[in-house]
Amino acid sequence: MINVNELTHDYGHGRGVFEVSFDVDKGETLGFLGPNGAGKSTTMRHLMGFSKPQSGSATIDGLDCTRQSSEIMKRVGYLPGEVALPDGLTGAGFLKMMNELRGGGIDRRAQELLERFKLDPSGSVKRMSIGEKRKLAVAAAFMGDPEILLLDEPTSGLDPIMQEEFISLIKEEKQRGRTVLLSSHIFAEVEALCDRIAIIKDGRLVSTVDAAEIRHGLNNIITVGFENEKDFAEFGNGSFDFRLRDRSSLKCSVVVDDSDINRFIKAIKRFAIRSFEEHSVTLEEYFMHFYKSNKTFGGVSYA
Amino acid sequence: MLSLPLLKQSIKSNSVMWGSMTGVMTLLCVQFSSLDMTRSLLFTIFYGMMTTILPGIYVLVTANKLLASQVDRGSMAYVLSTPTKRSSVTFTQAFYLVNSLVAMFGIQTLAHLLVNRVKPLALGELAYSSLAGELTSKMILQVNLSALMVCIALAAVCFMFSGVFNSTKYSIGMSGAFIGVSILANMLAMFGNLGVEGLKNFKYLTLCSFYDYQSVLAGSTDWISKLIFPAAIALAAFAAGRLVFARKDLPL
Ligand SMILES: Nc1ncnc2c1ncn2[C@@H]1O[C@H](COP(=O)(O)OP(=O)(O)OP(=O)(O)O)[C@@H](O)[C@H]1O
Ligand SMILES: [Mg+2]
Repeated sequence: MINVNELTHDYGHGRGVFEVSFDVDKGETLGFLGPNGAGKSTTMRHLMGFSKPQSGSATIDGLDCTRQSSEIMKRVGYLPGEVALPDGLTGAGFLKMMNELRGGGIDRRAQELLERFKLDPSGSVKRMSIGEKRKLAVAAAFMGDPEILLLDEPTSGLDPIMQEEFISLIKEEKQRGRTVLLSSHIFAEVEALCDRIAIIKDGRLVSTVDAAEIRHGLNNIITVGFENEKDFAEFGNGSFDFRLRDRSSLKCSVVVDDSDINRFIKAIKRFAIRSFEEHSVTLEEYFMHFYKSNKTFGGVSYA
Repeated sequence: MLSLPLLKQSIKSNSVMWGSMTGVMTLLCVQFSSLDMTRSLLFTIFYGMMTTILPGIYVLVTANKLLASQVDRGSMAYVLSTPTKRSSVTFTQAFYLVNSLVAMFGIQTLAHLLVNRVKPLALGELAYSSLAGELTSKMILQVNLSALMVCIALAAVCFMFSGVFNSTKYSIGMSGAFIGVSILANMLAMFGNLGVEGLKNFKYLTLCSFYDYQSVLAGSTDWISKLIFPAAIALAAFAAGRLVFARKDLPL
C-alpha cells in the first residue's frame, strides 16, 4: 500500500533522509521510531508530496507521491507533527473548510471524534490549547474516513486519558482494515498498536522488525550477587546467557527465558547469594539502545 | 481549477484588510471629488498617488498571506492534505487577489461616478492643467481601468514572490522593496511631470508609469496601448509564481 524505496533527500550537514526503504501492507500498522531529527517527519513529508525525493521514490497505492499527490489525498488522512491551524477561524469553521476541501458531504466521523475527545469546537482556533488544537487536527485527519492514515506523533500534547482514547481509536481503525503509518516517541503506544516497527536514525533506516517477534523475544534479566568469589566464578562458568559478569561487585546478569527458569533456580540454589534482582526487558529498553549512540544492547548496565 | 472552499476562506481571512483599504480609498475619493478645497487636487493627489499607494499596500500584505505566510506557518499542510492540487491553490489565490482589486476599484469608481453626477467637475478647475470641458463618466471609468491594470501587475509581482519564497521574511521583503520602489519612483516622476526636470527619469523605474490618467483627460488613446504592458507583466508574474509554487519543496 505504502512503498518507500531508496528515498534520499540530503539537506546538507548530514541531515535529511538517506536510502530509506520500507513497505506498509494493506491493513498493517507500521510504527516509525527514532530520535529527534532522525527523519521521520521528513519521510512523511515526502509521502505527502510536500517534498520531492532527490533520488528514490515514494508511492502510495502505486501512485507517485510527488506527481499524483492530489489523487492520493483522496485516500489519505494526515496528521501533521506540528499543528499550525489556519488563522482567523473557529474550530468548527476549520472543520467545515476541511470538509468542503475534501469534497463536502455530511461528516459524521469528525462529529463523533469531537464528542469522543470531548472537544467543543466553537471557540477561535487561536485561543485553543495545544491539546485542543491537536484534537481538531485529529478530527480533520479522520474526516471522510480515509483508508490510509499518516500520523506524525499523533498523541503528543494529549493528556494521558486522551492518549488512551486515541490508542483505542487507532485499534478500532486497524480492526476496520485501515493502513497506518505512525511515528512516535512513546513506546507504550507503539507497543500497543504496531504490527511492525521501523527504526530510523540519522536519516537511515536501522532496522525493521516484527513487533510480535520482539515481544516474543523479550525475556527477563536476573542479576545475582554472590557472597564469595568462588561461587561467583563457578556460576559464571555455567552455561547461561550472560550479559554481565562483574568481578569487583561479584554480580552476574543473566538472560533467562521462561522455559529455562527451572534450570536457573536449581543452579543458583547451591551458592551463597547476597542479592537477587529481577528485571524484565521492556520494548522501551530494547529500543533505547538504538537511541543512544552506544549501540551495544549489553552496554546498558544492569548491575 | 478554482477551489470554492479555499476562495471562501481567502475572502474571509482577508476581509478586514480589504474592507479597510476599500473604505479608505472610497472615502478619500468622495472627499477629493466633492469638497471644493480639494477638488483641484483630485487627479494630482488622489488619482496620482492614492490609487497606487493604497492598493499597493493591500497587495503587498495580501499576496504574502495567500501563499508564503501559510507555507511559513505550516497551515498550508491542511489544504494540501486534501485532494486540492497545488495548481488549484495558486489559481484560486490569484483569482481572489485579482478580483478583490476589481471589487475595490469597482466600489471606489461607483462612488466617484455618483459624486460626479451630483456635482460635475470642470477639468479647468484642476491644478496644473489647461484642459477644457467636464469630467465625464467614461473618463472616470477609463482612469480607473488604467489604474486597476497597473495594480493587478503590482499584485502579480507580489504574488510571484509569495509563491517563490517559503518564508514570510523574504516574500514580504522582496515585495515590500518592489512596491516601495514602484510607489516612490512614481511620486518622484510625478514631480518630474510637474516641472522638476531632474526627476523625470524616475518614470522608467516604475510600473505605475503605464497608468496614464493624463492621456484619458486629454482625450487621447495612449492609455489603451499602455494597458498591454502591465497585462503582460501580470500574466508572466502569475505564471512564474504558479510554476515555482507547483514544483518547489514545501517545508510543511
Ligand atoms: N527543509 C529542510 N531544510 C533543511 N533541513 C531540513 C529540512 N527538513 C528537515 N531537515 C532536517 O532533517 C532532519 C530530520 O528532520 P525531521 O523533522 O524529519 O526529524 P524527526 O525524525 O521528525 O524528528 P522529531 O522526532 O524531532 O520530530 C533534521 O535534522 C532537520 O533539521
Ligand atoms: Mg517529527
